[in-house]
Parts: sequence; C-alpha cells; structure tokens
Amino acid sequence: MKGRIALIDKKRYWNPIIETLPREKFQKLQLKKFQNIFAWAYEHSKFYRKLYSEAGIEPGDIKSLEDVQKVPKIEKPMMRAIQGEDPYPYGDMLCVPLEKVTTYHQTSGTTGQPIYQPETWQDWEWYSETWACVLHSHGFRDYDRVFVPFSYNVFIAFWGVHYAAEKIGCEVIPGGGLNTEARILKMRELRATAFVATPTYVLAMADTAKTKLGIDPAKDLQVSKITVGGEPGGSILATRKRMEEAWSAKVYDAAGTCETGTWSYECLAQCGLHINEALFLVELEDVNTGEPLLQPGRVGNLVVTAFDRMAQPCIRFNTKDLAEWSTEEQCECGRTFRLLKGGILGRSDDMTKVKGVLLGPTVIEEIVRGSPQLGDEYEVIVLKKGDTDDITLKVELIPEYKGEKSSVEEELMRELRIKTNLRFNLEFHDYGSLPRYELKSKRFKDLRGKQ
Amino acid sequence: MTREYDVRRMARIILAIKKAANELKEASDGIQAVDRNVDRISAVVRILEINVSDVASIEE
Repeated sequence: MKGRIALIDKKRYWNPIIETLPREKFQKLQLKKFQNIFAWAYEHSKFYRKLYSEAGIEPGDIKSLEDVQKVPKIEKPMMRAIQGEDPYPYGDMLCVPLEKVTTYHQTSGTTGQPIYQPETWQDWEWYSETWACVLHSHGFRDYDRVFVPFSYNVFIAFWGVHYAAEKIGCEVIPGGGLNTEARILKMRELRATAFVATPTYVLAMADTAKTKLGIDPAKDLQVSKITVGGEPGGSILATRKRMEEAWSAKVYDAAGTCETGTWSYECLAQCGLHINEALFLVELEDVNTGEPLLQPGRVGNLVVTAFDRMAQPCIRFNTKDLAEWSTEEQCECGRTFRLLKGGILGRSDDMTKVKGVLLGPTVIEEIVRGSPQLGDEYEVIVLKKGDTDDITLKVELIPEYKGEKSSVEEELMRELRIKTNLRFNLEFHDYGSLPRYELKSKRFKDLRGKQ
Repeated sequence: MTREYDVRRMARIILAIKKAANELKEASDGIQAVDRNVDRISAVVRILEINVSDVASIEE
C-alpha cells in the first residue's frame, strides 16, 4: 500500500523506515534531498552561488542523480580561504544569520588550518542524529553506561557521540579533563559498558591500564563494545584484533568528518561500512581523473554531500578518504544501505611515492600490528639522501618478548618487502619511547620537502 | 503477520506538532523562555521530518 512501509524487527534498527527502505526509493529520496540542499545553498550562500554561477549551473539543472556530477566539488582549502571574513568568522559559506548559530566547533587541524563549523540548534540535533544511527547499530542501548574519553573542547571529535548516546537513552559519563589513568580508574569505578575513541587511543588506554595501573581491561573492566572512528584502524584487521583482545570487547567502526557528519557505520554483522543514504549522498571517484566509480573493483576518493546540514552546507565535499564499493548486494543485517568494502582505506593525500612506489600508511600498520612481538606504536620517516628516498620504520618490541631481535627483524623486513615492494631501515626503540596520541595519530612523517 | 509503518499518518502528526510549536511562538509575544524552547522543539521536529516525513513525501 502506498504510504506504508513494511514493519521489520523495529528494535533492531534506529530507524527501520530509512534503514530498510527499498533501494529504488533511495534514488528518489536522494534526488529530492540533493535538489533541496543545492537550492538552499544557492539561495542563501554567496560562496555557493558564485561557485555554481561560474560553473553555469543552477537549481533547475539538477533533474537526475547523474546531474549531480556537474556540480563543482568543494575541498578544505576553499573553505579555509573564506574563513576569517564576514560573517565573521565563517565567511560567506554561511547560510543563516549569525544569531542562529548556537555552537562552534572545528576540525582537528591534522591537515592544516582547522575548518570552522557553525551549528544551529537544528544542525546540532542533526549531527547527534547521525551518531545515534551509528551507536544504535553497534548495539548501544539504554542500559549502557557510555564513557566518552576525550577532551571536550573546540575540536568536534566525539561531541556528537555524547549527545547521540544521551538520545539513545544511555547513561553518559563525560571523561574530559581527566588523564588516561584517571579515565581508566573512573571506567572501572562506574563499571562502564561501552566507550568511543580513535583506534590509537583504544590501544593507548589498554597499554596505560596494564603498564601504569596494573589493570587488565580484558579482565578488570566491564566494557563489552567499543566504537572507533577518526582513523582507518577500525577496519584494519590486525588493529581491530589487538583492540578486541586488549579489552575483551567487540570493536565497531564508523566514518565521517567534521564537515560532513558521520555518514557510515558497521552493523553487528560487520561486513563493511554501511552508508547512511537517507542522510548523505556518497560518491566514489577516480583519484586522478575524477571519473565516477559506480561498480566495485577500484579504490577511489569519497565525495560526500550532507543533505540536511543547513548553516554551513557540505555539498560534494572531497573528503580525500579512500574506499572501495563492496560486492555484497545486501548485508545480512537487513539494512538496504550500500556497503563499502573494508572501511576507509586511507587518505589520498597520505599516499606518497617513495622510490617510485605508491605507499600508504595503512599497509604498514597492518604489518606492524600483525606482528605479536611488536607494540602498538610505530613511526615511519621518509627522508631524501642525495637523490634517493630513504625510509625508516621505528617500532617497539613488547616487554614480554624474550626472543632474539634479529628474528623479528628478519620477519618484518620480509613482510615489508612483500607488501610494499620497498626496502626499509628498521629501528627498534625501547617500549614506551615512541610518541603516544590521544586522538588522531601522526605516525607517517614525510620530511623530504622539509630537509 | 507483516505489519507496516504508516509513514503518512506519522508525517501528519509531525506536521501538527510543527504547527502547534509555531502557534505557541506566535502567541508568546516574544517571551524568551517560550521562544527559545520552541526553537529547540522545532529543531527536534525537523529531525522527525528527516526520519519520517521526508520518506513519506516520496511515497506520494
């Protein structure tokens, strides 16, 4: 019957109406929503109107989802260029009067000057809604006591998680302003059942618990599920295995950005990242040519549109994140959202040519974290020696390992050669001496242009 | 037995809430304690529209 949607196990989903919508209806919904946000931005933002006018496109020109590809993309440098101007400090991408802006956040700044993010009440509700979809799919429920272990400040980080967990009905423990040891002790004291962090910090917390507090999170804490985001590690199997073993908990991945919102998440079946197609349009395109990638088989750049973010719309934002479509037609969880295979595979601006070979940090992480004799931390340094690229991998042996360093070295060199086709210098450092990070890590350091 | 979500009915109720919130704001004569809380209600109503009414609109 028109206007009615089949009822399917309603508690399994945050919103079964959109999570199980037949695929053919997504096309219609997405076109309508894209037309709406495009028209909104065209009419209310000087930045977007200029961009689209120069490209010779206006709202009436979007008649199909194919037409979306005619719409110019935006990138971080374009957003940075208009910041600091009136309406201060957001510049003329802003689509609402300043009086309607109720919260300021910004990006982490790991790729340069942070992007400012204005939020109205409506946008903030929307942002937490995107995270509610994520947490609910990861099994967060009203009986969970969720610890949020990050420093609540200008960086958007896990602010959305806090409000999403509240919305689901969880009891939220804001763990800002505490150091890692205090956070672990508070988690133990309050018997937290779940938390959300970057993969880097999930491992760092477990390491601190063991080495500084004598607490084994797998035995002494009651965490049963962990949501990770902000880095690719949640879908890197070796990293996920380490996290799950360290905490004796299930680890689920999610992906998004400050500019776009959180647009994808795993479900309990863990067969890839579901794209929340009711709230976002996600396109994949060839990194070099921009050619749309519609079928599985090739890795491409993710271009994301947030349909309902109104104050500072995010339309065809080139995230520079790399991903590949899954070959799975539909997940066993019943969600009809399209899937990405293996999560976020890295960033196109992190991919670098070393000795003529294209190298990404995730392959090194898979190798290091796949070696049980090595600690979680590592660092990659690329230098220029004369005319030749020189690449060094710094690692730490775990204190429990009592065997020969040479055998680990030999195995590591072999793995690196097979999987990267490069010869690395290897450096073994004392356990605990390499840099530790609380949020996003910076383990790959290409210093060739800075020498 | 397969049941169905009546998204049109839900959309009608959401619209009624939206109208009621707007009417309350019009009636408040600018009382901040009313208007600002209505703004927050309206923000949540928009999320209900995204979850239900936007889908209902493509069913028409």
